[in-house]
Amino acid sequence: MFSNDFTLTKRHLGLILLIGGSLGFIGILGIDILDAGREGGIGPAQQIALGLCALSAFIGLTLLPLGDKPA
Amino acid sequence: MDKPIFRITNRVLMAAALLVLLGHLAVYAAYAANLMRFPFDYDQGEGFELMDTVFFSRGEWPYRDTEVFPFYSSNYPPLFHVLAAPFVWMVGPAYWYGRLLGFLATLVTAAAIGFAVYRDGAAGGGRLKLLVAGLAGLAYLASNTVYHIGPLFRQHASMVMFETLAVVVLANAGEIAHVRRRRLALAAGLLLVIAAGYTKQLAIVTALAVGLFLLIRQPRRALVWGGMAAAVGVGVFVWMTAATNGEWWRQAIVANINELNIQQSVGLFRLWFSLHGFLIVPAALLALYELYFDRLSLYTIWFVLAVGLNGAASGTWGGGDSYFATAIAATCILSGFFAARTLAGEWPFTENYLSRLARPLRRFGPGLLRAGLIIIPLLYLGYGRATLHLPTQQPPFDTFARVLNIRPNALNGFYDSARTADGQFSAGYADIGHFTTPDDVQAGWLIVEQVRAAAGHVMSEEAGFSLAAGRQVITNPTQLLNLDKKGLYDGGELIRLIEDRAFGLIIFRAQFYPPRLLRAVGDHYRHAESIVMNGFEYRLLVPN
Repeated sequence: MFSNDFTLTKRHLGLILLIGGSLGFIGILGIDILDAGREGGIGPAQQIALGLCALSAFIGLTLLPLGDKPA
Repeated sequence: MDKPIFRITNRVLMAAALLVLLGHLAVYAAYAANLMRFPFDYDQGEGFELMDTVFFSRGEWPYRDTEVFPFYSSNYPPLFHVLAAPFVWMVGPAYWYGRLLGFLATLVTAAAIGFAVYRDGAAGGGRLKLLVAGLAGLAYLASNTVYHIGPLFRQHASMVMFETLAVVVLANAGEIAHVRRRRLALAAGLLLVIAAGYTKQLAIVTALAVGLFLLIRQPRRALVWGGMAAAVGVGVFVWMTAATNGEWWRQAIVANINELNIQQSVGLFRLWFSLHGFLIVPAALLALYELYFDRLSLYTIWFVLAVGLNGAASGTWGGGDSYFATAIAATCILSGFFAARTLAGEWPFTENYLSRLARPLRRFGPGLLRAGLIIIPLLYLGYGRATLHLPTQQPPFDTFARVLNIRPNALNGFYDSARTADGQFSAGYADIGHFTTPDDVQAGWLIVEQVRAAAGHVMSEEAGFSLAAGRQVITNPTQLLNLDKKGLYDGGELIRLIEDRAFGLIIFRAQFYPPRLLRAVGDHYRHAESIVMNGFEYRLLVPN
């Protein structure tokens, strides 16, 4: 990874986006589950963040088949 | 590929788009000249940026303890004010040079955008590519947001200039084969990122974009160069924190993290899209193209992060539409690339599952490229109409307003497409852009006379009146409010002075002070007079 020739591929980028988006999605939902005493449910900022995490994971998924092409 | 009729129509429409955007430039230059002649605060808080400049010109820090007289501190990084400080030595405190620097910064940014589109937009050269580059640069200056924040005594336009220069320098730096030249380009680009950060904190988004780009292209280089840049940036930060007894950290960082109003962010996102949509769509298409069929460029990563992070932050207290300026610069570059590639017919699709899915559509390719000859100039014409703003009463613009049947919807007979017909606008959109009048100048001097005549100290929500009257500038209200919101402000000494009626005159505009200060003023001062300057009511209060 730290060689002069190494570069991230579309698959690497896809994995990063997929994992990051999925963890973000779970984390945001987790705020509501763990912080059960909080009122108001999922607010507008959380809804937007959930949407962006889902989009990120989806884009990641679509990048996986592009394989070893440089990102 | 393209028949003469398409070529001729393209040239005519391109010339029309150029004319429209040059018209925007003429309005912008006239607005800048008008503001440079206006000797008082125009945008809320400009005077405090001038005061910061005065501090630096004396070799003093503006990051100070707000609990002791004169209760002043700044929350902005130093570079813009340091650059303006020599003007204080030459001509004393004045607004024109800060506004001139802001205006020039936008021109440099536009030139950098044009250069990027010419260099990286499509292979080959030619007059058409030069024209597209010119349109991309002019599009930046035509934006309603860039128009109204550019010629202000504020650091935002300079930050965007440093950010854009950094991105243009770094975009191809890794591909430079000559080792010494590559290192020079990387060093220069990263120094420009640091300069942007020390102009305004919001440039963190460009630092993130650059770091991410270097990491994707070559992690080793990202670590080595990122580490060196971080060492320089953090070194300066630690030195400033130590030199100001921690006030730099407290005032510019801790007090500057403000709460988010997501509704304001959403409203400003909608406004941004309604004004710049003609360029955002092609920019987004180019970003998608790079994601699936090419390598991600620094421009695209910058565009995505600037839109996402700065756009979200636009809903913070103290934020606003100006937070989209970086995204607008990135949008102009990417849409310029889209235009240049389309006009040159350069859309190679590498073989992958998506290009295979789209294979049946390939027969439409030549037709789409011919349509592009018409669509590209129409995009810039549409953008020129969507961002229309002009004074409707000052010659020569009044003639255009009459011919186009444009009616004013802002102060002083100004028309701004960001507003509704009855003058409403999104929360967070700056209520400026109109030209000042001789009556505004006269009103300003009337306030200055009151400041001069007042016995004792004067506390003014705008610093310009105190500076013009040769009085000491006392407090920076929005910074006191920032500190108060974080529970970092006591205010006991200032409240005691208010209760002792130590101020002969207090001037309010938006009343952006901590609530208990406003209560103390309400209890011990009475409204004596209101003077309207520049469309805003200045309330003059005297002791009970």
